[in-house]
Amino acid sequence: MLFPVRCFTCGAPIGHLWEEFKRRVEAGEDPGKVLDDLGVKRYCCRRMFLSHVEIAYELLNFPKVS
Amino acid sequence: MYLEIRILEKSSNRVKLYLKDIPLHVLNSIRRTMIADVPTMAIDTVVFTVNSTIFYDEYIAHRLGLIPLTSEAALEKYKPPEECREASERGLFTEDCFVKLDLEGENPPSSNSIITLYSGDLRTSDPDVKPVYDKIPIAILSPGQMISFEAYARLGRGREHAKWSPVSVAAHKFIADISIDNEKCRAPDCTDCINVCPRNILIIDNDRVKVSSDRIFDCSLCKVCEEACKYRAIKINWRKDEYILLVETTGALSPKRVLLEAIKVLESKLDSLVESLKMEGITK
Ligand code: SF4
Ligand code: SF4
Ligand SMILES: [Zn+2]
Repeated sequence: MLFPVRCFTCGAPIGHLWEEFKRRVEAGEDPGKVLDDLGVKRYCCRRMFLSHVEIAYELLNFPKVS
Repeated sequence: MYLEIRILEKSSNRVKLYLKDIPLHVLNSIRRTMIADVPTMAIDTVVFTVNSTIFYDEYIAHRLGLIPLTSEAALEKYKPPEECREASERGLFTEDCFVKLDLEGENPPSSNSIITLYSGDLRTSDPDVKPVYDKIPIAILSPGQMISFEAYARLGRGREHAKWSPVSVAAHKFIADISIDNEKCRAPDCTDCINVCPRNILIIDNDRVKVSSDRIFDCSLCKVCEEACKYRAIKINWRKDEYILLVETTGALSPKRVLLEAIKVLESKLDSLVESLKMEGITK
């Protein structure tokens, strides 16, 4: 759904970094360099960014029935 | 007797210490206490009044729990975890245990954009206890959706739930003792160990293989260099009673505070053991 608040493996807070990461990668920067820049060092945390799919935004397209 | 302690690295949420003459089991007790027993503040109960977003209440409550809250002042101000846990089980959200954080958000039906609610939008009843990071997304709302809830944070320990653990990394590691037998070594004709070392610990200096003195703490003791050496000239061992302690916090407490609190918790556990022994008449 949304980008996780913490890394699943080590528990480091990462949620606050997602929007900057996304903005900069969409602007054409290299994802690895952006992560280095944001101070995300361990590969457990890095894969959280590299493998994330923003499904929540897709769900918003459907009307709510209840 | 004093230990030798050196700070190798230091930043607001990370510290790397070199320790000498500390027994491993003592260091490990401190490390494990940091992970499981040093209290911090985290949201534990959430009461939803409205939620018409696409997220389940539980999903949002889970995200809220994981948001690190500043706990430096809270450790003195609020009652200990065990008492507050009982209070919350009985549904008593008293001020000496709980901090209230609330949030109301609405995306008007007339709007034509998606809005995001962040951790920074939470209104706290105690300015000393607030999200460490303001930019953690809590929920996204499309036009016409609304959310409103009250969340209660209390002190807790990592052993109860990992969200209360003040550290994301608390690790200790051995320091390598690398010996190179210059009789057997064929350098500079051979540089196999230097080429395979993943941490760039080994260098060539005056036609001899040497250990780079400022890189030695980074050796992972993987022994890849040992395996690569055809002449059995290099040997990896570890130094006795010398360790590196690495602490990385979630931001709720400073690394220094985490270390000091861990020692305090450990001390009080030993004190209560001594008290119990006295009560039983085993010691005076
Ligand atoms: S043990 Fe591993 S890290 Fe250490 S010097 Fe040998 S190859 Fe490098
Ligand atoms: S691999 Fe062995 S022989 Fe070759 S340089 Fe290293 S220690 Fe010397
Ligand atoms: Zn991680």
